[in-house]
Amino acid sequence: MSGSAKSLLFIAVLCGVCSLLLTAASSGLKPYQERNILIDRHRNVLLAAGLIEPGSRLKEAEVEVLYAERIRELRVDPEGRILEGADAARPDGLPFYLIQEGGEIRGYIVPIDSRGLWGPIQAYLAIDRDGQTVKGFAVTRHAETPGLGGEIEKEWFRRNWVGKKIATREGTFVSVGIAKGKVEEQVPEPKRPHYVDGISGATMTGKFLSAGIRDSLSRYEPVSIRFRRNQIAEWEQRLPPARP
Amino acid sequence: MNGAAARPWAVVRRTAAYKEIVKALWRANPISKQILGVCSSLAVTVQLETALVMSLALTGVTAGSSLAVSLLRRTIPRNIRIIVQVAVIATLVILADELLKAFLFDVSKQLSVFVGLIITNCIVLGRSEAYALNHPPGPAFLDGLANGLGYSSVLMGVAFFRELLGSGKLFGASVIPEAFYRAGYVNNGLLVLAPGAFIMIGLFVWLEHALLEKK
Repeated sequence: MSGSAKSLLFIAVLCGVCSLLLTAASSGLKPYQERNILIDRHRNVLLAAGLIEPGSRLKEAEVEVLYAERIRELRVDPEGRILEGADAARPDGLPFYLIQEGGEIRGYIVPIDSRGLWGPIQAYLAIDRDGQTVKGFAVTRHAETPGLGGEIEKEWFRRNWVGKKIATREGTFVSVGIAKGKVEEQVPEPKRPHYVDGISGATMTGKFLSAGIRDSLSRYEPVSIRFRRNQIAEWEQRLPPARP
Repeated sequence: MNGAAARPWAVVRRTAAYKEIVKALWRANPISKQILGVCSSLAVTVQLETALVMSLALTGVTAGSSLAVSLLRRTIPRNIRIIVQVAVIATLVILADELLKAFLFDVSKQLSVFVGLIITNCIVLGRSEAYALNHPPGPAFLDGLANGLGYSSVLMGVAFFRELLGSGKLFGASVIPEAFYRAGYVNNGLLVLAPGAFIMIGLFVWLEHALLEKK
């Protein structure tokens, strides 16, 4: 066999062996990884809702109990009506979460699906019962540059969001954007409730995430309007707390 | 024979394994002597926990790839040897990453890209190309292990000082008494940032060179 044929054969066999190994590892470990991702997602929903402290080392079981008690996963149709039973599987249904305490609804959480600079960004934005004040924000998945765009998952950036408004006082939707720099220096006074401090060196990440948040929030606007007009008493009656 | 039994340490000191490990830990330490693998040692040394997991991952990959390359050394065609080594290393790194994601999820999130970047760590390919290709599996495995430990020793040292002085903690537990803070002690924020790591590694390099020169 000639030299190059031997090289080709060797590399083909090696690649075959390596792929087999990786496939085996990947499919064998998948259940564990998926469970970790689910817990992490729940942790981030709770973090956005302000129900756990950042950096708290709650055990898996504790996270699950808290999540089951306080968060309710629902789907709504594009007009903001809750989908139940067979309807819940409708393809145009939008997933969202209610924050409950006892029989009361304390707010809701909108999942944010955004484009990032290097890959998709997934986050949660929790909004108060008034339908316009941000309760919290948490990023659950991103591929931004550590130290630059990656700062979106950091505590200082998360805290940035609390108390911002997604709508004007009159109830017109405006979303919350990421400023280029400090809000106090870059944004005129009346618009400040609708902006958070940006990350220096991550202008593109900020731009994409601002657009992503605007898109996601505008899709959930019917739900937000319902909250703004305080028309959720009916939901509270129909949706008793997950646990007595 | 009799003398050896009386002084077992002396026998250990004469073995090849001992010499290799000492060399990698000290005289030819990959980080502080050869200045390799500095990128990841800047990034993951803010806390001891991440540094420890990174050390284990890198040591495992270096030892494993050296062993695998050494076992294949007679069959690897010379003209594609680098490709073969990179393929072996990349496979092991992905395996390490998958394992971390399955069993140490929080740490793996903090380490983010740096586990994947072990592929580009010069220590791994360096040991495999310079040593494992021309040595039998046993010594090659030990050489990989020793170099991984050499890397780990500096990583853990840097992380120890960064976490202690930067955030007043060790392995996430506060060790600086509350009274110190009340008396005006402040954590050094610089050590949490990358430049702090640079200075720390610089001090380690200086220390090692100074001590070696004295000898």
